[in-house]
Amino acid sequence: MGVTCVSQMPVAEGKSVQQTVELLTRKLEMLGAEKQGTFCVDCETYHTAASTLGSQGQAGKLMYVMHNSEYPLSCFALFENGPCLVADTNFDVLMVKLKGFFQSAKASKIETRGTRYQYCDFLVKVGTVTMGPSARGISVEVEYGPCVVASDCWSLLLEFLQSFLGSHTPGAPAVFGSRHDAVYSPADTMVQYMELFNKIRKQQQDGVIDEARNSSSRLK
Amino acid sequence: MEAPPVTMMPVTGGTINMMEYLLQGSVLDHSLESLIHRLRGLCDNMEPETFVDHEMVFLLKGQQASPFVLRARRSLDRTGAPWHLRYLGQPEMGDKNRHALVRNCVDIATSENLTDFLMEMGFRMDHEFVARGHLFRKGIMKIVVYKVFRILVPGNTENTEALSLSYLVELSVVAPAGQDVVSDDMRNFAEQLKPLVHLEKIDPKRLM
Repeated sequence: MGVTCVSQMPVAEGKSVQQTVELLTRKLEMLGAEKQGTFCVDCETYHTAASTLGSQGQAGKLMYVMHNSEYPLSCFALFENGPCLVADTNFDVLMVKLKGFFQSAKASKIETRGTRYQYCDFLVKVGTVTMGPSARGISVEVEYGPCVVASDCWSLLLEFLQSFLGSHTPGAPAVFGSRHDAVYSPADTMVQYMELFNKIRKQQQDGVIDEARNSSSRLK
Repeated sequence: MEAPPVTMMPVTGGTINMMEYLLQGSVLDHSLESLIHRLRGLCDNMEPETFVDHEMVFLLKGQQASPFVLRARRSLDRTGAPWHLRYLGQPEMGDKNRHALVRNCVDIATSENLTDFLMEMGFRMDHEFVARGHLFRKGIMKIVVYKVFRILVPGNTENTEALSLSYLVELSVVAPAGQDVVSDDMRNFAEQLKPLVHLEKIDPKRLM
């Protein structure tokens, strides 16, 4: 896979998630991009069960198990700031066996679904991020196929992102930072998605706390 | 807590339960050549395949009495081959007439950072060894004849010593749950290897 940048598109003022996605996809189509099917990236969170904590002597860690429709036979398992394991889909079966040691936080299954667009050497995926039944945000993934070294093509990617994201263009992803000349791999894309999902989850939680605070202050 | 008991139903929760049917035996070093010769005649026609694998056994200890065991295996002679992670369940106690040892198995191919990942999950390595031997196939049956080598310095696979003066012989099949006819085919094949090697159902618990 080529070097990929995953970022969040904020919802436009006064518009819904769906309308903002439509604005973006219309811009892409005007540029000349061709629709090429759909995509889906999902993420489940597991945490170490209380029973194992004592013997490890460490705080419970969160493990993310993700899937990407671009790699249908693979399963990605990662820890934040830790290693990312690429395995085949039997890893999901193993997680079922590990039920006693790793509990799934059912409510935190998060996924993004949308359309794939091919524009010359760029593959653009605009997706609606959902948790359960509600849409929580928009993800934008851009892959530059021909290049696998981040430092060689970041400026080109940035230019392309600016052409349709405008002021919402993101900075260089953290995964590029440490290893400039390393070959880019799908695991790096999954790390970016994990960071995006965590950011959206946190925005959701902060939003709820702010609302609660606002409503309680209004009641006073 | 061990995984919920795997019933004879082939499908649980949308995934197929795969079972490993196993028969084991051993031969002394000096009988190896005649066994290999007979296997070459009985098994599928293919280039003789040898292997050198490094296996590490990881344990995850919880409050439960028995730790969760996972086996991580990698090839030392084939570069670029993925690592192999294997879970083996408890042997199914059931039909005494069943000719082979049956246990649930989950096989996963993974990237090279498997050991780091398992440590991050909380697993700790219990022991490791190097297996060097020959591989044969007959239909869905796999026959491996290999020698186990003890690793003298942890992590150093160059410096090993043989554990015994014999080779371990294993006849195994991985098939969906509920196909006991597989063990009959295995028993029939095992008959053809007598008296060079006696393959039988060995319950690991009896050895402990």
